[in-house]
Amino acid sequence: MNVILNIATTTVGEAIRRRVLLVILLIGVLLLSIIPALGILSARSETAVTVGTMYAVLRGTSALIAIVLTIYMLPNEIERRTIYTILSKPVQRWQFLLGKYLGAVLALLLMIALMTVFMVALFWVFQKPPAEKVAEVATQPFMYWMEMSLLSAVGMFFSTFIAPLVNFFLTIGMWLVGTVLNPLYDTLAKNGQNGVMKGIAQIVTNVLPNFANYDTKNPIINPGQVIQNGALYKWSTVGYTAMYVGILLLLAIVVFDRREV
Amino acid sequence: MAAAIETQKLTKTYRSRSLGKVNVVDELDLVVEEGEIFGFLGPNGAGKTTTIKMLLGIIAPSSGEGYVLDKEIGDMEVHKVISYLPERPYYYEYMTGMELLKFYGSLFGIKDVAKFQALLEKVNLAGDATKTISQYSKGMQQRIGLAQSLLNDPKLLFLDEPTGGLDPIAHTEIRDLILQFRNEGRTVFISSHELSEVERICDRVAIINKGVIEQQGKLDDLLRGGRMEVIADGVSKELADSFKGEDVVISHHNNRVILDMPENNDVNAVLDSLRSKKATVVSVIPRRRRLEDLFVETVGRADSRAKGGKPAAGAEVA
Repeated sequence: MNVILNIATTTVGEAIRRRVLLVILLIGVLLLSIIPALGILSARSETAVTVGTMYAVLRGTSALIAIVLTIYMLPNEIERRTIYTILSKPVQRWQFLLGKYLGAVLALLLMIALMTVFMVALFWVFQKPPAEKVAEVATQPFMYWMEMSLLSAVGMFFSTFIAPLVNFFLTIGMWLVGTVLNPLYDTLAKNGQNGVMKGIAQIVTNVLPNFANYDTKNPIINPGQVIQNGALYKWSTVGYTAMYVGILLLLAIVVFDRREV
Repeated sequence: MAAAIETQKLTKTYRSRSLGKVNVVDELDLVVEEGEIFGFLGPNGAGKTTTIKMLLGIIAPSSGEGYVLDKEIGDMEVHKVISYLPERPYYYEYMTGMELLKFYGSLFGIKDVAKFQALLEKVNLAGDATKTISQYSKGMQQRIGLAQSLLNDPKLLFLDEPTGGLDPIAHTEIRDLILQFRNEGRTVFISSHELSEVERICDRVAIINKGVIEQQGKLDDLLRGGRMEVIADGVSKELADSFKGEDVVISHHNNRVILDMPENNDVNAVLDSLRSKKATVVSVIPRRRRLEDLFVETVGRADSRAKGGKPAAGAEVA
């Protein structure tokens, strides 16, 4: 376990110094900072528009960071030969892979936390909301972090056998399908009339990760959504994430173990 | 002497779209004895790094057997007592020298700061322990690489091009460190193109070409069979010409003759002949072959053999 943690710590150290990630993070922060001004232009509730847009920026920025971070993680280690120095020590490939993944997830936690603090501060300054509203706004990014952990596992899995550029489009495609199309397939699987279409929809919705699960608090996307039992929903989402991440990492380990590096 | 490395018919095969099945390393039989510095030589793409990766257990052989310190290759127990310095290593640039040693040490469960300090002193980086790797010169990066490779007090070190791209001073420093490793009883396996360097420090060498070992043995044995140079004064042209023979080069000028002949020629007969004609023998100099000559000759012979219709044993490695 120590080996995994040490590799994870080093991965975090490297991730928070990668210029391309810092540039994406900076752009995200800059976009967040102009959002309070957009609320004034909206005909709908100013708070709903501000919070919804902030969430969208935070989520998009996090997704881009997660994808760029993970698609290059293994290829870079192989190209720079750092992997050889590490694997020549008493480190198994699966430990290396899990260490890198854990590092990516921790780095994402740091970056999402930073954007959340900034977002909440802006919300507080410009909207002067009550404390419980602030707390509510601050909890959604935790769901995004789980979403990004799953997205990182997708990127990591593909990076064990696919070149970074193809992986970029594949992972971003998976995210878009899982975010936009999966809810549609989900509806089709439940209420579809055509048996074949219903079957296809069921396969798609069961096999592809449903990233829409994680965006429950966005007042623009889900204006009327009320979750009866918030705690249960969160725990079931944690379980869904853990199961999906577990399967993806297991597959990644199997592929990576057989790969010639 | 026990073998630190022993391989029997170790083979690595890759599939290539254009070439089909390619044996990058082909039935390699290698023996490296404990406590020696072993030079593993070969042109680019010969299969050196692939061999090292197999010996380290980073990639699995396609067939054959290999043992490192009496354990089968890939055995994690071996990883505790071996180390590796890759060619042109990259280290996490944001780390300081000390942090780098702490990180690699942590992979062995080593947390002893005094040990890290001692290693930095050993490679002359004690004064630069707090500088980041990005501030290190190439030579310093190579030395910190050697320091990390000593963290586990290894019995066997694999060094891939340890002096590649370094200036002469850094060369000397690294060479001294490698010789020090042997004096400490460690086995050192060096893959290198720097033939003069290998000739200076290695006890035994193997030359690999296209995945096949072409020569293997003690350096002294392999370089034996060189040439002999005899210089004598007071030698007539007729006498000089009487030494003509296969592979004998004769230079005659102002009654001085320089005979350059194979070492296995009868030098005593030549000297007797010169003395009997009242010539003065100025010098008799045995000239050992250089490793570079042996290398070029061996690789050239193997290449022409392959072109001559015999099946090529291997192919280029990416």
